Amino acid sequence: MTNISNIDIPAVDNVQALTIAQRVVLGAWRSYEFRVGFFVFSAMVLLAIFWPMISSIDPLKINIRAKLMPPAFMGEGWSWTHPMGTDQLGRDMLMRSLVGLRYSLLIGLTTVVVMLAVGALVGLLAGYRGGLTDTILMRITDAQLSIPMIILAIAILGVARPTIPAIILVLGLSGWPVYARVMRSVVMAERKREFVRGATILGASDLRIMFLLLLPICLPPIAFVAVLDIARMMIFESVLGFLGLGVQPPTPTFGNIIADGRKYLVNAWWIATVPGIFLFLTLISLNLMGAALERSRNRVHGGEA
Amino acid sequence: MGTPLLDVSNLTVAVGEGASAPRVLTDISFTLEPRGILGVIGGSGAGKSVLAKAIINWLESPLRVVTGKVMFEGRDILTMSDRETRLLRGKAIGYVGGNPSGALDPTMTVGAQIVEKLQAVEPGTSYRKAQERVVALLDAVRIPSSDQRFNEYPFQYSGGMMQRAMIVDALVSNPRLIVADSITQPLDVTVGAQILKLLRELRDEFDTSILFVSNSLPTVADVSDRVIVLDRGIAVEQQPTADLITSPRSAETRQLIDELPTLWAHDDRSRLKPASEDARPIMSVRDVSRNYALASRGLLNFGPKRILQAVRHVDFDIYEGENFGIVGESGCGKSTLTRLLTALEPPDTGQITFEGKDIFGRGKEGTRAFRRRMQLVLQDPYNSLPPRNSIGTIIGEPLVIHGLASRKERRSRVLEVMAEVGLPASLYEELPMVLTAGQRQRVNVGRALILEPRLMLMDETLSALGQTEQGQLLDLLEKLQAQHGVTYLYISHDIAMVRRVCARVAVMYLGEVVELAENETLFFNPGHPYSRALLSAAPTLESRRYRSEDCLLDGEPPSPIDLPSGCAFASRCPQAFDRCLIENPRLQSRGGLNRAACHLLDSENTVPKEVSA
Amino acid sequence: MHVGGGFIVFIVNFLIRRLAQGVIIVFLVSFLIFTLLRVIPGDPVRLMAGGMAPDHVIDQIAEDMGLRDPIPVQFVRYMGGVLQGDLGQSFIRPASGAAVGGASFDDNTRSERAEVFDLIADTAPFTLQLALLAMAFALIVALPVGIYGGLRPGKWPDRLALYMGSLFISLPNFWLGIVLALVLSVNLGWLPAIGYQGFAYTILPAIVLAVEIAPFLIRSLTVSVAQNMRENYISVAAIRGIGHRRIVMAHALKNASVPLLNLLGVQFSMLLGGVLVVEFIFDYPGLGLLTINAVLQRDFPLIQGIAIVTSAAFVVINIIVDLVATTIDPRLEY
Repeated sequence: MTNISNIDIPAVDNVQALTIAQRVVLGAWRSYEFRVGFFVFSAMVLLAIFWPMISSIDPLKINIRAKLMPPAFMGEGWSWTHPMGTDQLGRDMLMRSLVGLRYSLLIGLTTVVVMLAVGALVGLLAGYRGGLTDTILMRITDAQLSIPMIILAIAILGVARPTIPAIILVLGLSGWPVYARVMRSVVMAERKREFVRGATILGASDLRIMFLLLLPICLPPIAFVAVLDIARMMIFESVLGFLGLGVQPPTPTFGNIIADGRKYLVNAWWIATVPGIFLFLTLISLNLMGAALERSRNRVHGGEA
Repeated sequence: MGTPLLDVSNLTVAVGEGASAPRVLTDISFTLEPRGILGVIGGSGAGKSVLAKAIINWLESPLRVVTGKVMFEGRDILTMSDRETRLLRGKAIGYVGGNPSGALDPTMTVGAQIVEKLQAVEPGTSYRKAQERVVALLDAVRIPSSDQRFNEYPFQYSGGMMQRAMIVDALVSNPRLIVADSITQPLDVTVGAQILKLLRELRDEFDTSILFVSNSLPTVADVSDRVIVLDRGIAVEQQPTADLITSPRSAETRQLIDELPTLWAHDDRSRLKPASEDARPIMSVRDVSRNYALASRGLLNFGPKRILQAVRHVDFDIYEGENFGIVGESGCGKSTLTRLLTALEPPDTGQITFEGKDIFGRGKEGTRAFRRRMQLVLQDPYNSLPPRNSIGTIIGEPLVIHGLASRKERRSRVLEVMAEVGLPASLYEELPMVLTAGQRQRVNVGRALILEPRLMLMDETLSALGQTEQGQLLDLLEKLQAQHGVTYLYISHDIAMVRRVCARVAVMYLGEVVELAENETLFFNPGHPYSRALLSAAPTLESRRYRSEDCLLDGEPPSPIDLPSGCAFASRCPQAFDRCLIENPRLQSRGGLNRAACHLLDSENTVPKEVSA
Repeated sequence: MHVGGGFIVFIVNFLIRRLAQGVIIVFLVSFLIFTLLRVIPGDPVRLMAGGMAPDHVIDQIAEDMGLRDPIPVQFVRYMGGVLQGDLGQSFIRPASGAAVGGASFDDNTRSERAEVFDLIADTAPFTLQLALLAMAFALIVALPVGIYGGLRPGKWPDRLALYMGSLFISLPNFWLGIVLALVLSVNLGWLPAIGYQGFAYTILPAIVLAVEIAPFLIRSLTVSVAQNMRENYISVAAIRGIGHRRIVMAHALKNASVPLLNLLGVQFSMLLGGVLVVEFIFDYPGLGLLTINAVLQRDFPLIQGIAIVTSAAFVVINIIVDLVATTIDPRLEY
């Protein structure tokens, strides 16, 4: 043991050898908020993916005889067939909520990807090229920022038919400007770094510098914060559903279940409550993870300065 | 002599708790008499800043005083209550730190903040009275138009100005002691020299003692009566300044002295090759200027457009196989000139030719071809390498960009270059983080070398390295020059480095080349007052040929946005006369390849004699 | 800049430049919305005239209203009106009151339809009242929590800020609105919830809205206060002999207020989104409810008018924010 440890290995500081992104994730993982969030979120995702595959219950099947059954232990007439109760048409609340969660996650995730892709691209271009390109792109961004995103979204979805791709596109396109702004400022800072100048003088093309050099450095810190936006987009999706502008019934979504449940609030509180709890748990787990990542990122970057 | 003002005895500071906690300071004892200036010198990690902070009881966790006393006027600072310390710090002890630009709240005027401090430590002082005192002190530290400056914000101050304001801040409560921690470190050498001069004068005028902490021996020696040498937390030596330099007792002090560059005495480390007479120019810069228009404020701003003149009428040749140097302080236009020379942007007027062809006259392909023949070795070893690429990839990248070699050839070519610049082949797959600063610079050299350039531009390449590493890299560059016949262009602020390497030197000041001279001429018979000022402020212990007292006035360098019509150096030049304020001198020949831009050359004999040693 | 005249010149310059930019932004927004509404499938005239109306009648109405002209022509005509303060008339709402929708197509003539400008002017004060009250609630909670969290990073006040922020942001506004209405209004009878018959009706919607805004304020404050407390000038101030209280109040908080202000400017549109949903839930007669109804009824002129007004409000708010930020931190002027 003593002999082996004496062998002269060039000292590599383990913390130093990690990329910044890895350090951020590691730092976040150390906080138990992140771990709690991570486990709750994973559980919700697994449940949403696998339960509808395992269970034989159809979320759309109407069964008037089993209508308005309360969740387990929560009143008279409950049954293990419907552990979360049934709605006014006797549909299983657990299954409906989980299907709603599927749509919510699907839309939330893809929307953020669209936002991130468009925003990062615009920001990269504006920040790297500067000058007129920058001015034009940033004016467009400002204009977009000054249209309240939700008005735009409901205006389009209210007038056109709300399909899933339309929802993703509308939410994604109305959310990109913030990313464009952040990306631009990060790129402008990184562009001044020595190795960028070095690459230019070596003769590297602009595209090479932008996509092979700058993007891998600038994107991760922004992507971490995007976790918070998944939660925000899931809320938006449910708001749209609530207003009747989301995925249309009979497909269950959090928004339309809660909108329905609102009418039965006094005598069947669970219809609005059960999906609300699922949504809340998913959101808070995402937000805890996102906040932990953001803090860890600020720590890593603050330590460097 | 009475009781000393400050009496530190057996001070030991550790990081963290427990008996085995690593010590940052071990058993430090010294005294400081009233009106004395005590210097503390040490390299990075020597514990000198911790010492400075311990004296004002400003150690933050995990730093912890293990044993020892810091007696200030008979009371132990380390055992005082928070309230007592606070009053003592602001009032009896002033502190000036090494980061003047971040030392004040950016959203309040400098004057208001100094008044705020005075009112905090001397409650009951009226604003009016405080203001009068601050303005008077701003005058005392030679800040021009002090009542206007009083109302300006920190960001409107230059680094040197801000340091003067911080000295006012320390002086305003009439302290008995000023702790000056690395105060000249962030400043240009000529500005730093002005501050040192000021400090000496203030001691006499205000009756304060000074604890002067620095990592530069010449700087400490310049101001202090006595010096303590710190090395890894231990005071290895303590002597009056003159004795310390002439007869150092400890090995550490001797090493500090040996590492210092010499400008005038013979130096074994010199790499000078004489400029060859018959060489042909490889690069010619002809009357090149570059201006930047600043963003105009407001849509209806009809005032004159604000123009920053970054490079003005620069004109020189670089000969094949020689070492050419460009020196100047921050803001002199070196970085803009570098951008022009590397074809990152074209000059507004003038022409740059490389091997006889205009570097901008050949379209995109021409620029690429030029960039194969001319390479830049980057300045900062920590920022210049993309953090995620392996070293082999980084060195081989130029080949990929220029499409020069197949994957297989590339590997062998990279390994060849790595051997040539002294990097072991085992590093091929490693990431840059594992490298030392010196190794990083070797990667940079290797990356430039792989394209077999004719001209290599060294942009502050050596300044982040220690003396030993610098020497090793210079050996390497010399070897490469002998083998490949490369021409080197060094761009630096470090006049001592230039002295060792460059056969010919261009001195830049505010965008202009003010002097262009062969090495010996520049150092022994400079033709421009600014060159003399630069030499007078250089960090060396030699008996100086030029003293900053004779070579520098208190003025500030003018802003490059509205340059005076005359000579740009006139505001700081002790020999300036009427003509200098009206007419900007052009470069004129002083014989051979030497040229300088100064009206005094019209009557050579008025140049002041050098200080006789 | 602080010498009287110079400052005024600066402000005038600043206002002119920003207003010019603002006009361009509003113009772009109008064009975008205008085009979108006309490109998207769904004929408003069909809705206006009613499903039963024969095609020739619909064509006639559309023709009369100029809806069959090329889009640029329609846009120029529309903007001509906007410049004179005329935002057009609602497709659906009569001047007198409730929306009539597509009840009868023959007696619904143009002259009787409500002016968009009036509709907005009538509802905007309600929304303003709601927004201001919500902002006040949010600040009352966010200021202490956020500042204290920023002053004690890693300690419990910081954790409190983190948990409170995460909790609030995870409560969907419509869901919270329903629950609060059920508990506070239906079950406990403390506050009125639906409609508007006095100031008390603003409180519940404002609480819901405040819960939505507060987490952003808390986060911004915690981060920027903590960041400023790490700045060099803060630690140096202590050695310069300035007391802790003064360092925090006069320096750290002053500097931390700039990002908070900027956040308020940028998050304006988010606030509006919240207003929309909250007004819908509580049937609160403000701009938000007007917007949702306009969308559901495809009342294009009304949607357009609202978009223009809100983007103009956004521009104005951001000009004010920047102006205040510049007086706090004069570096921003450069």
